[in-house]
Amino acid sequence: MSFRKPSVLPGFGLTLGFTTFFLSAIVLLPLAALVLSAASMHWSDFVRVVSSPRALGSYRLSFGASLLAATINVVFGFIIAWTLVRYEFPGRKIIDALIDMPFALPTAVSGIALTTVFAQNGWIGRYLEPLGVKVAYTWLGVTLALTLISMPFAVRAVQPALQEVQRDLEEAAETLGARRVYVLWRIILPTVLPALLTGFTLAFARAVGEYGSVIFIAGNLPMKTEITPLLIVIHLEEFDYQGAAALGVVMLAISFVILLAINLLQAWGRRRHVQAAH
Amino acid sequence: MSITLDQVTKHYGGAPVVNDVSLDIGDGEFFVLLGPSGSGKSTLLRAIAGLSGVDHGRISLHGRDVTHVAARKRGVGLVFQNYALFRHMTVADNIEFALRVRHMRARARRARREELLRLVALEGMDDRLPAQLSGGQQQRVAVARALAHKPEVLLLDEPFGALDAKIREELRRTIRQVQRELGITTVLVTHDQEEAFAMADRIGIMNQGRLLEVGAPHELYARPATRFVATFLGAANLFLARRTPDGIQVGGKTMGSAERAPGAPEHEVVAVVRPEEVELAAARESLGSRYLGNGVIDEITFTGALERLRVQLDEAVHAPLLAASDADARALQVTRTRQVNRGFEVQQGQTVAVGLRRVHVLPTPISSFTACAPSALRADVLSRQPLLAELVARMKTRVAVRIEPALGHTDAPCEAQGEFFGTTVIAAEGDNVERAEWLLRRGVKDLLVLPEAAAPPQRVLIHWMGEAARSATLAVSASVLRHVPAEAVYLGIFPGRSDSERHSYGMRELLDARSEAQAAHGLEMRTELHFGDVAQELTRRLAEAPAQMLIVGVTELKHFAQGFRALLDGGRWPVLIVQRGAP
Repeated sequence: MSFRKPSVLPGFGLTLGFTTFFLSAIVLLPLAALVLSAASMHWSDFVRVVSSPRALGSYRLSFGASLLAATINVVFGFIIAWTLVRYEFPGRKIIDALIDMPFALPTAVSGIALTTVFAQNGWIGRYLEPLGVKVAYTWLGVTLALTLISMPFAVRAVQPALQEVQRDLEEAAETLGARRVYVLWRIILPTVLPALLTGFTLAFARAVGEYGSVIFIAGNLPMKTEITPLLIVIHLEEFDYQGAAALGVVMLAISFVILLAINLLQAWGRRRHVQAAH
Repeated sequence: MSITLDQVTKHYGGAPVVNDVSLDIGDGEFFVLLGPSGSGKSTLLRAIAGLSGVDHGRISLHGRDVTHVAARKRGVGLVFQNYALFRHMTVADNIEFALRVRHMRARARRARREELLRLVALEGMDDRLPAQLSGGQQQRVAVARALAHKPEVLLLDEPFGALDAKIREELRRTIRQVQRELGITTVLVTHDQEEAFAMADRIGIMNQGRLLEVGAPHELYARPATRFVATFLGAANLFLARRTPDGIQVGGKTMGSAERAPGAPEHEVVAVVRPEEVELAAARESLGSRYLGNGVIDEITFTGALERLRVQLDEAVHAPLLAASDADARALQVTRTRQVNRGFEVQQGQTVAVGLRRVHVLPTPISSFTACAPSALRADVLSRQPLLAELVARMKTRVAVRIEPALGHTDAPCEAQGEFFGTTVIAAEGDNVERAEWLLRRGVKDLLVLPEAAAPPQRVLIHWMGEAARSATLAVSASVLRHVPAEAVYLGIFPGRSDSERHSYGMRELLDARSEAQAAHGLEMRTELHFGDVAQELTRRLAEAPAQMLIVGVTELKHFAQGFRALLDGGRWPVLIVQRGAP
């Protein structure tokens, strides 16, 4: 079998070459270096670093808060995208532009801003304090920061899919006797589900890697409000490059497994459709 | 009645998209709404389905008023142009959707689904996804889905638009078959007249939000009432003809007497001649029909079964055709079948004798316009006034120019000899009343006083002074409103003050006028009751809003100047005066 099939688009060889080169230079090589650096450790050292109670606590917070943030973003991102796609109102363009703000803001700025608002004497924090709700310097603050910075991913992933959902479909369902909730559940959600999953994946990936905004609001108490990226930085500051690399490899592995699982879920969903047809 | 529409009106941003539509569709009838894009036919269908609300009027399905009932409770099935199938569901799930919503048991659902799939000839396709079906098959699924919950009414919104010709034909047959088998009342929306002819029991033709005419296909084709329908349903040659006591005259030759109206004075009319009703022969003697004149074959196009010809009529034939451009003013469209073609073969450039087999006269009272002014220059400017140009374009008619140097000089006779034809138009200037009266006294029947800046009206006010002018005023109003997307309002004005007895008398008059307008001219109008001085009330009402026009019927000119000075002078709005019954 030959790869040189005549194709409508020219330059397949050239573009594949570029793709491989860039992926290698920018993604694969640094990752390999990371793994190699960690591999130079003694196995027992590696296990000690990555399974220390402090490390375990940080994994729990990092991945737990990230999953929670991504979930929140899928729900509210869907609602925001729905509002932006479906309704025409004054200021719609401005809100549409605001969605991208967390992209543009240096993450440290977001962190400082959030802390100002949610600290015990902050604008909102002072009213939450008497209710016994503490946001800043708790896992709640971490989740809040992660939600903020990963929100655009969810909205932007769902928006085009919602635009694609034809009004006709809803109207057809309506004339067939379905209520609004039924239409949302049975027609709209299934249609945008792949986009929702993509939004979840992107938001999650972004949240896991976040560092700048979290450290301001988290308080960084070991075992309690310390995220893994911070722990890595602490190792680096102690010139423990191998320890940092070891934690990095663990993060890499867990992230990879989760992302792979989501991708497989999507592929399975697609296949199920095709299979249903045969 | 299965579907009853009563004065249904719907606006989008001020302009009416569906304008005062009333219609009855019978049980089991296949009704086609036909019209060009933007005519409001889809909006009307959506209003019936309940997907868009109406601003005014009532919609009833099987006697139940559903005007304010949600779409899902109306019991209609709707099929969209782009199928609108649920792409993540199988054919079976799509069809069963309405049954699931109604919590029908699985076994009953399956039985119904199988029945429907058989009906649309898609047995065994249950487990396919829409993406795995062809366009025609997808639309069949959509039809089956729309029928699943046994709706009382099936609505089809351009269902064949996205399909190619052959599939379209096949699907048409399927839908017609299903419709007959179930006896379900069906409304189909389309812009394709061939499709309408092929499927409809009755056709309703819409243009600019109005339902112009309703009738059986052959009925509408043979005897259209409006220029729009005459030209929209197939090709038509429109002649400016004359109705005389002897019959219809085209180009000075009497063509037929079947549609004569005894007693009516001689006047200008529009005659429709279908291309297949034109006969060609080598010489006048060999024509089987009435001779119109000679012509030269200009163009021959062969279209399979038919031969299409363009014949340039001879200069000597004085039969003005209503054409889009002056270049076409003598070009006659002719179609001939193979059989006729074999009997008399023609070539380009050949001179032939032209005869007309059948002439149909439009009942539309406005046949043409005559711009009348004291000088050629001013008449020319007037003939290009925007509202007049718009009316002319929409009515597919023409503007003649007539110069009357003595226009308005009390005792001067008419300059141009002969009567006035069509609707005479004068520019609104200072002394409108004098000039209007001058023309009306010299035989002008319909007179339009047109301000320079007048734009197409959004509302047309209708009133008549004297019963003798009533039916003519209604006819002229209907003619104008068929071509202008405006709201029609009849003002009943009674002298004196209002009291309960006079009020109920006035209301009766109003209802009479409304039902006559509807029955005789298909014109839907709102009515308003006023008491007081006629001229004052009309002026007050006209001054209330911009973009209004007045159509007013008069029977005598005794106190004309006095009564009309306030209405005409200053030229603030277009006024169309209909004079009937005057000695």
